[in-house]
Amino acid sequence: MKFDISYTFDALPRLFEGSLVTLTLALLGFAFSVVLATIVTVARTASKSRILAYSVAIYISFIRGTPLLVQIFLVFYVLPIVGINIGPMSAGILALTLNSAAFVIEILRGGLASVPQGQFEAARSLGLSGFALWVKVVLPQTFMASIPPLVNEFTQVLKATALLSTITVVELMRVSQQIYSNNYHPVEVLTGAFVMYFLMCFAVSRSASLLESKFEVKRA
Amino acid sequence: MSIDLSIITNYGPQLLLGFWMTIKIVVGAIILGMPFGLVLALGRRSRLAIIRFFATSFIEVFRNTPFIIQVFMLFYVLPFYGLHLPAEYVGVVALAAFGSAYFAEVIRGGIDAVAKGQLESARATGMSDWQAMRYIILPQTLPIILPAMTNQTLSLVKESAILSTITVGELTMAAITVQGETFRPFEAFIMVALLYWALNETLAIIMRRVERKVSRRTSSSSRAKVVRAAPAATEG
Amino acid sequence: MAAGSETKHNFLEMTEIRKSFGDMTVLHDVSLSVSQGEVICIIGPSGCGKSTFLRTANWLTPADGGEVRLAGELVGGVPDARSVSTQTKELNALRARVGMVFQNFNVWPHLSVLENVVCPQMVVAKRRRGEAEKQALAALAEVGLDDKKSEWPDNLSGGQKQRLAIARVLAMDPVLVLMDEPTSALDPELVSGVLNVLKRLAQKGMTMIIVTHELGFASSVADRVVFMEEGRIVEEGAPDVILQTPKTERLKLFLEKLNITAFKPNSDSAGHPTMDSGS
Ligand SMILES: Nc1ncnc2c1ncn2[C@@H]1O[C@H](COP(=O)(O)OP(=O)(O)OP(=O)(O)O)[C@@H](O)[C@H]1O
Ligand SMILES: [Mg+2]
Repeated sequence: MKFDISYTFDALPRLFEGSLVTLTLALLGFAFSVVLATIVTVARTASKSRILAYSVAIYISFIRGTPLLVQIFLVFYVLPIVGINIGPMSAGILALTLNSAAFVIEILRGGLASVPQGQFEAARSLGLSGFALWVKVVLPQTFMASIPPLVNEFTQVLKATALLSTITVVELMRVSQQIYSNNYHPVEVLTGAFVMYFLMCFAVSRSASLLESKFEVKRA
Repeated sequence: MSIDLSIITNYGPQLLLGFWMTIKIVVGAIILGMPFGLVLALGRRSRLAIIRFFATSFIEVFRNTPFIIQVFMLFYVLPFYGLHLPAEYVGVVALAAFGSAYFAEVIRGGIDAVAKGQLESARATGMSDWQAMRYIILPQTLPIILPAMTNQTLSLVKESAILSTITVGELTMAAITVQGETFRPFEAFIMVALLYWALNETLAIIMRRVERKVSRRTSSSSRAKVVRAAPAATEG
Repeated sequence: MAAGSETKHNFLEMTEIRKSFGDMTVLHDVSLSVSQGEVICIIGPSGCGKSTFLRTANWLTPADGGEVRLAGELVGGVPDARSVSTQTKELNALRARVGMVFQNFNVWPHLSVLENVVCPQMVVAKRRRGEAEKQALAALAEVGLDDKKSEWPDNLSGGQKQRLAIARVLAMDPVLVLMDEPTSALDPELVSGVLNVLKRLAQKGMTMIIVTHELGFASSVADRVVFMEEGRIVEEGAPDVILQTPKTERLKLFLEKLNITAFKPNSDSAGHPTMDSGS
């Protein structure tokens, strides 16, 4: 057999649509995970609850210790059993969110640690308390310090979206599978999808390392 | 929702077989992937621009695409060029290639963390580049990279689940089969999740002990600097 | 001291060495020839190119122009007609006989004191372990470290580390030893121990080029002192001539500055005037 690039070109329009779905999934999953991780971080730090701290630690250990694919299957197959029918797309985003949140919690912990203790005291002495302290003082600095690893984490989510093809979410990977199951040219079609994944991920991770070096210059 | 524990007794052996396959595949991938990762890391430092280019491209391509599409590419590309391998072999090769790109970056970071004077003093005694690497630089790199190499190995265990999509009979595939036969997805998947989790934690504990032993023997100012350049473990 | 009058001044020949970093020229066609058994001390202000010049002698820093020959054999040169692989091979063979001692020791922390000395003998000189260990023990005894052979380098003082580095060089039976400020990273009280080892080596007839700020040491040990400034050799000659009756204004100024520092109480225990490396 010969590599026939015309099959790649023919597939491009649909692959392009698939990449848009992939990007949307990644953005949603990542955004939700940042929200979830922020809530958990604030709750864990502010409440000082032992039980909460342990539960979060076990949660993080479970997520980091098990394959994302298995996590996706768990969410996808188990939700309907307990009566929640939200479809593969939402289940997929939920799985990505739950997975990524564990990593974002760890990133935010690092960012939070870089906020000087004096900032808390200064804010308190200004009469800021509770909610305002977090929203106005602590979280902005935490996020600023966490930008490079967060962009890195986004690349991970972007790559992870491809796994949602296994629960029939029609994103870039799934689109290419659909195309080649019709034209029987998997190599040509997958090559197109492969290049698209590479361009997306490479662009994001490049900007992550650019950000990182910029941040380092600023700190120096 | 009720939990049916009989699945554990009825399908336990099947899951354990899958578990065993997972271990074999990961071990195979490490045996192939670590030396190749070293080759890539050295290739990235080669004097020849062409070798640097190939090593860098390989690393960037494998780090910036989803593992699942790498697996599918390999699964279809090999027969396309007339090479018909059983799925398990394709899986080992895919996992090794993927892992080697990450191992390479860890090793490179470790080499960079060894003081420049170490290489110079080795070269000054008349050692070739390779001898200096082999006897002076790499032994000093080892304790520095051990934690990051452990993380990457653990991530290979998790990524190996993706090989179920090309019908490799590993642990996740076993769970899929069990849930197909029993229609009890929760029991099937939570059980394999726990197995992965246990394997992960066990390996982590063993490696932490090894790390402590290695760093005790070599604990010193000159090796205190831990690799910063090592990328975080991939998730999944 | 020289083996024969006809070998005088051609044991090490460094001819018109030129080196630039970017558009900054660090060495302007510097030449130096050293006869067998000669001890040369290179002095000069910080940044004048002493280290760079020394490092071209074993081609650790390849020059941009000129050539280096050791006993007639080409160490490195520009242009070089040899193939790259021949160059590398012959250079490594020559380096095995040319020792180098660095300012910050560069002992190998993953190897014990004994193994530091054994390793290059086995890897480069292809000696068997038994012979390598015998040589290593002799070299360690030479520098007074025989009782530390099973220590880790990290447990040694700076002076001991530098003596270990010297033993590592000696065990390879070098015909030439290059030293770049071997004592300037040391605490003042550790300097004399290292200098005494170097003096003994000089008395045994070892050919050495030493970059140093220890003028007292230079005047008592060197056969010739070379003064460099701004990438050129400005003056060279016998130590008492150079150090007592400098001809050029620049050398006078340099010595004056050093002497001012020397009157400060950081002289080493042997009473040599010393100066910090300036870096
Ligand atoms: N690898 C390098 N890259 C760029 N510039 C260099 C490099 N090595 C040395 N230089 C520059 O070359 C000049 C000479 O450096 P060199 O180290 O030879 O001076 P030196 O006489 O040994 O000084 P010191 O007494 O401080 O050791 C300096 O200006 C230095 O900054
Ligand atoms: Mg210098």
